Amino acid sequence: MNRSVSDSPSAPAPSFYLPDFCATPTVLAVVLISELVAIVLTLAREELHHGFWIDLARTSLFLLWIGLSSAAALCYSRPALARMSVQRASAVSLGLLIAVTLVISEVTFWLGQFWFGDLQSLVGSLFPTGHVNFLLRNLCISFIVSALALRYFYIAHEWRHTVESRARLRIDALQARIRPHFLFNSMNTIASLTRSNPARAEEAVEDLADLFRANLRETRTQIPLKEELEVARLYQRIEELRLGPRLKVKWNVQELPMDTLVPSLLVQPLLENAIYHGIEPLPDGGTVIISGARNGDSLELSISNPVHDAPGASPRSGNRIALDNVRERLELAYPGRARLDVENRGAEFVVKLTFPLVKSVATA
Amino acid sequence: MKILIVDDEPPARERLKRLVEEIDSCEVAGEAANGTDAIALAGRVAPDVVLMDIRMPGMDGVEAARHLGQLEEPPAIIFITAYDEYALRAFDTHAVGYLLKPVRREKLADTLARASRLTKPQLAAIARAAAPKQRRTHLSVRARGELRLIPIEEVLFFVADQKYITVRHARGEDLIEESLKTLEEEFEPGFLRIHRNTLVAVRHIASIERSGEGQYSVRMRGLDVELPVSRRLATEVLRRFRG
Repeated sequence: MNRSVSDSPSAPAPSFYLPDFCATPTVLAVVLISELVAIVLTLAREELHHGFWIDLARTSLFLLWIGLSSAAALCYSRPALARMSVQRASAVSLGLLIAVTLVISEVTFWLGQFWFGDLQSLVGSLFPTGHVNFLLRNLCISFIVSALALRYFYIAHEWRHTVESRARLRIDALQARIRPHFLFNSMNTIASLTRSNPARAEEAVEDLADLFRANLRETRTQIPLKEELEVARLYQRIEELRLGPRLKVKWNVQELPMDTLVPSLLVQPLLENAIYHGIEPLPDGGTVIISGARNGDSLELSISNPVHDAPGASPRSGNRIALDNVRERLELAYPGRARLDVENRGAEFVVKLTFPLVKSVATA
Repeated sequence: MKILIVDDEPPARERLKRLVEEIDSCEVAGEAANGTDAIALAGRVAPDVVLMDIRMPGMDGVEAARHLGQLEEPPAIIFITAYDEYALRAFDTHAVGYLLKPVRREKLADTLARASRLTKPQLAAIARAAAPKQRRTHLSVRARGELRLIPIEEVLFFVADQKYITVRHARGEDLIEESLKTLEEEFEPGFLRIHRNTLVAVRHIASIERSGEGQYSVRMRGLDVELPVSRRLATEVLRRFRG
C-alpha cells in the first residue's frame, strides 16, 4: 500500500492485520467469540452440573473475563506488535493470549479455594477443583481458539486488502491510459520540429512533460478548475501541432468560477476523446466546443465534437474507457451527486458533466 | 527511387521527406494527406515506393494500399504507424515491411532497400487482420493505367456476370473483378442480395413492385431499370424493405 495515501500518521502501519481491539466493533467481536466458545463448551459437556443456562452463564462469565482482558492486552501492545513481522507478531499475540488465560484461570482457581474452600460440598462444582487439570485444559482451549481467531483476523485483513488494491489498480489502470497512439505521434511531431522549429519543439516537450505529470497525479487529487482547464489546453497545443488547421477548439468557460476544486483529469480525457473520435477521422477537421455554466450550486461542463458519418468507417473503439474513467472520477469525488450524460445529436456528440460546486479552501 | 509520402499530419510528412531526401538514390515524388489523394497522385507520378501512414481520415492507409494493388504495376508499399497492434500483427504474419513512428533513418533506408510489391492476397489479408470490421469506403477501377475511385455511397447495385461484376453507380457503369459473395459480406447491411446475381444498395431503393404472381422487382432511385427479385429471397427482401 502506498504510504502517502494513509491519512493519519499516528496510526500504526496500515498493513498490520490485527484490528484495533479498543474499538467498539472489535470488542463486540471479542464478546461474540467468547460467547460462541462458551456455548460450544457448554453443549459439549456430557453431564450438566446445574442445568444448561446456569452452566452457560458460568462459562460465559469466565470466558468474557479472558476475552476482554485479552482484548485489552492486544489493544495496549498493538503499536509494538505492528512494528514486528507478521510471523513474530502472531507468535507474540498468541503467547499473550495464552498468558492472559493462564492468569485468569489461576485467579479463578484461587478465588474458589479462598472463598469457598470450606464450602466445597455446598457450592459443588461452581469453581474448579483439580488445579493442574483445570489449567492445562484452559491453556489448550485458549491456544486453539486464539490461533483460530488470529487466523480469522489475518484472512479478513488480507481479503479487505485484496479488494481495496484491486479497486485501486483498476482506477490506476484507467488513469495511466494516455493513448499510446498519442504518445508516439507526439514524439514523431517533436522529432520533426527539432530541426524545422527547435523553439516549438522545446515547448512541445515541456507541454508533454506537464501533461504526463498531470496524468500521474493521485486519483483523488482535487485541483482548481483553472489548473484542470490548463491541462486540457496543454493537450490541445500538442494536438494542434500535429493536426494543424484541422483542429479548432472553442472555449466558452468565462462564466466558470476558476478557483472551484474539481477532480483532476475531468476535461482533458474528454477533449482527447473528442479529438480522437470526432476530429481526427474528418479530412477537413472540425471544431470542439468546450462550454461551462454555473447553475446554482452545481457546475455544468460540456464538450461537443462533430461526428463523421462516412458509410464505410466503423467507429473507433475505446470511447467507453475515457467516459467510464471520468464517470468513475466524478463518482469518487461526489458520490451520488454528479452526472455524466452522453448525447448523440446526429451530427454532434456531446458529453455533459454536472457536479456540485466546491469552493477552494483559500477562498471559502 | 521515386517515393510517395502519405500521412495526414504535416509535421510527420515533413520529417519523412527530410529523411528520404538524405538517402542517396531516393527522391520524394509527391506527398498526400489521405488515401484518396494518394491514389490520384500515384496515378500521375508512378512512384516506386509508397510510405503509407495507416490511420488517416477519409480513406485509411490499408484501404489505399489495396486499391494501389490494382494497378498494372503497383508500387511497393511500406506502412507506417505510431501504434497499431492489429496492423503490426498482420504485418508480421504476412512479412510486410513497416516502420514505427518516429521513424529511424537507418530503419527507413534499410526498409526502402528491401521494399517489395505486395500481392493482392497479401493486401486483402492485411486489410482483414488490421481492420477487422472495416469496410472499404471506395471501390477502385483501373482506367488507362490509373485508378478511378467509386465511393461506396454512390453505388446503386452490383450485377454479377460470368467473370466480372458490373457496378452501376451515380456516374455510370464499371466492371470489377470481385465476387458478389465477398462484396455482400463486406457491405452488409447497407447492401441487400435480391437475386443470385444482384446486390442492391438499400439506401438507393425507390420501390419494390409486384410484377406478377409472387414476383417482385426492385426499382432504384433515378434509374429506369427493374431488377428482378428471386422467389427464394422475396420474403427476406420485403421484410428488410418494410422494416
